[in-house]
Amino acid sequence: MLKIEHLVKTYPKSDRVAVDDISFELRPGEIFGFLGQNGAGKSTTIKCLTGILPFDSGTIEICGHDIVKEPIKAKMFMGYVPDNHSVYEKLTGREYVNYVADLYKVPKDLRTERMDRFAKLFRLEFAIDKQIKSYSHGMKQKICIIAALIHEPKLWVLDEPMMGLDPQSTAEIIAHMREHCAKGNTVFFSSHNLDLVKKLCHRVAIVNEGKLIDLFDLAGNEENKANLEERFFRITGTYEERLFEDYIAQESADMRPDMPVEQAQQPQADENEIIENKSAPDTDKGEE
Amino acid sequence: MKGEFSFQSVRTLFKLDLLSRFGSTHKRGVKYRIMQYSNYLFFVAIYALLVVGIFYLTKMFVNEGNLRLEFLTLAATITLAIATAISTGTVIKNLYQNGDNEMLLRFPVSGKEILVAKTIYCYLHNLIVCLLLMLPFYISFGVVTHARVGDYFAYIAVTLLSTLLPFFIANIIAVPVMKLMNVVKNQFLLVLILTIAAICGIFVFYLTSLNTFLNYLRREGQTLFSSGTIYHFKQFAQNAYPFNFYAELINGRLYGGLSSGQLALRFLYLFLINAALGVIAYFVTTREYYKTILYGIETEKASFKKSIKDKQRPVAWALFRREFYLILRSFNYSFQYFAMACAAPVMVFFCNRLAASMGAESLGAQIMPGLTLMVIIIFVTIVVSFASTCISREGNCFYHTKIIPVSYMTQTLVKFALYSGVASISVALCCMVSGIYYTTDAGGHALSAMDVGSIFCICEILVISLTSLYMLLDIKSPTFNVGGDGELVSANKNVALAMIVGIAVAILYGVFAMVFSFIPVKVGSWQITTFGGDIGNIYLILAIVSLILLGASLSALFVNLNKKYQNIIP
Repeated sequence: MLKIEHLVKTYPKSDRVAVDDISFELRPGEIFGFLGQNGAGKSTTIKCLTGILPFDSGTIEICGHDIVKEPIKAKMFMGYVPDNHSVYEKLTGREYVNYVADLYKVPKDLRTERMDRFAKLFRLEFAIDKQIKSYSHGMKQKICIIAALIHEPKLWVLDEPMMGLDPQSTAEIIAHMREHCAKGNTVFFSSHNLDLVKKLCHRVAIVNEGKLIDLFDLAGNEENKANLEERFFRITGTYEERLFEDYIAQESADMRPDMPVEQAQQPQADENEIIENKSAPDTDKGEE
Repeated sequence: MKGEFSFQSVRTLFKLDLLSRFGSTHKRGVKYRIMQYSNYLFFVAIYALLVVGIFYLTKMFVNEGNLRLEFLTLAATITLAIATAISTGTVIKNLYQNGDNEMLLRFPVSGKEILVAKTIYCYLHNLIVCLLLMLPFYISFGVVTHARVGDYFAYIAVTLLSTLLPFFIANIIAVPVMKLMNVVKNQFLLVLILTIAAICGIFVFYLTSLNTFLNYLRREGQTLFSSGTIYHFKQFAQNAYPFNFYAELINGRLYGGLSSGQLALRFLYLFLINAALGVIAYFVTTREYYKTILYGIETEKASFKKSIKDKQRPVAWALFRREFYLILRSFNYSFQYFAMACAAPVMVFFCNRLAASMGAESLGAQIMPGLTLMVIIIFVTIVVSFASTCISREGNCFYHTKIIPVSYMTQTLVKFALYSGVASISVALCCMVSGIYYTTDAGGHALSAMDVGSIFCICEILVISLTSLYMLLDIKSPTFNVGGDGELVSANKNVALAMIVGIAVAILYGVFAMVFSFIPVKVGSWQITTFGGDIGNIYLILAIVSLILLGASLSALFVNLNKKYQNIIP
């Protein structure tokens, strides 16, 4: 589905190698997580494989088509959701999705059915005919996702997709990722959410300073699942026993600090006031 | 507007504003600094030219026309009108349209503090504009009239006093203008039509007035300072309230014979006018500022809803429609492009008629084809210069052009077709308008059908050449400097370069056609041009040059396009 071999990318006027000899392959029907710290090379890799950035060496194949030699065919099989959810804000949601559907040559009936389904799924029916500039952060993210899915891509690439989304929308995207993979398609996404990756992904890759350090199965491998956080912390060079223990404790336990006694009592007083006020309107009305 | 008021917060906000505008400490390369200093030098050179022009104008009025107070009144009227227009733009841009309003409202500062901090900036901007506009007039006046040292202090004092009027008027005008803009914001077609009408109206008014004035001088056989025109100047100066008060405050005692009491009265009038306008401005601004910016921030109100049916379109048509809508739905872009393209024929016609009435009489009717060619190319250059932001305008969505399964060639061709197509229609209309008028008795048969046809062909070839050249400029060096609404924050360097190239081409072509319609040239046995004769050969030469330019610019744009496009990094 996606095959990256010896990918190297250096930005102009920069000595640092942003992506250093990365190779991996994605299988049909899998959800693949791409982990790394900020600046590790995740977004650069994604931008190279989507055709946004040129790269120095290596090859990228999408469904057997080389992104450099056959870019149009390769892009036809891919849907991309960027991390900055930039869209043409002067268009309405429907205009934008229709425009993208035109570029991917999606027939009218199919696009109407998909657009209605996705708009309902992501609860955007009320806003689909409104100009995108009136959308909230999460709504823009959702319209990006709908546009990326309108042609049912074989490879769905998402760069930090859950950022800024409400819990329901996150749950819906996760559900759709699973549904998408069940049809034999592949989802490739970068994330900082280790817990989500652990629960959702079949496999995961961890990059650090442009290099692919580790790639392992999560599906059916309980040991890898259990060790994901520790491996991530060790690979990214941020492992410190105390910090790691804190992290694990935060993940598993209630981390709410105790409140000072007098402040803790305050909300109760407010609640009492609210209860008292509930009976007040009748009196007020009477006075009026 | 409620909330606490602290001068400390105002000071901090003001400093923040200045820092965000001028405080960049980011070190730039030598190339950037050279460009920056060249810009400064260019500005200084233009300003120096303006000052020299003002000085000679002052000498003419004072020495030839013996019009002293009248000149000061005229100077005050013109400079205050320009300052008011500039100040209104500054107030609207900084107080109401600036994207930082939303950000500042999140800080622990009141709306009043934001308003005061921004108002200080607007006033300082207005002060600098007024000083730059007014002082050259007054200082030139002092030099020409050999004024005493004390008079120069009067010039400065009156200039400072003059800064209040445009500032207060700007603050009063800004609110209704902003409200109107919010109301018509999404009426794209209406805004476009109104803009075109406004551009044409202002341009036609300006040129008709100029034409009437020149005709008056010519008809009456008068110079600028004949007794008739001097009478009109004096009449104007007497009735131009309150601008003549400023002039009288400067030199009313010396040249107007005013007593100290009369001068004090003039000052009192100006004080009262300014105070009244100041109070109105205060109430209008403080009442409406918060509401107006909230209206702007609440994008729900600023956006629109439109139901369309899903429909499959060919890829190129989909790209074309998207580009078209993005231009149409932006006031700035549709003004720069569609409005200018539609207004160009009107502007060409009136500009040509004025130039023809002046040039044809003094030089002869032979200049008409060259003049028409030059005027059309100048206006079309303004229209086509829009192509020099073809990539920059994509802004944060540029990534989209790289991920879609459409070749860069197709995407570029679609943009090329839109830009050159609109400009080509504009050229055709310009030629049609000139042709209809100048090939008839009304236009004195200054142009033949062959002239119009040739000018049309040359201009069309040039339009396509310039479009591809300008697109190439932006593909090679785009500037993705966009604001919150996704529009370019300011015109980028490519636009300036495009304008310079276009105007240079217009002058070269126009001057070539005009000069060689007078000078006979013979190369070997080929009589290229004859005095007052057929200029067919000139058209032929210009057409050949244009075709060479076309070939070169098209190949520069489209050869290796993929590589050039791929190298653009958002």
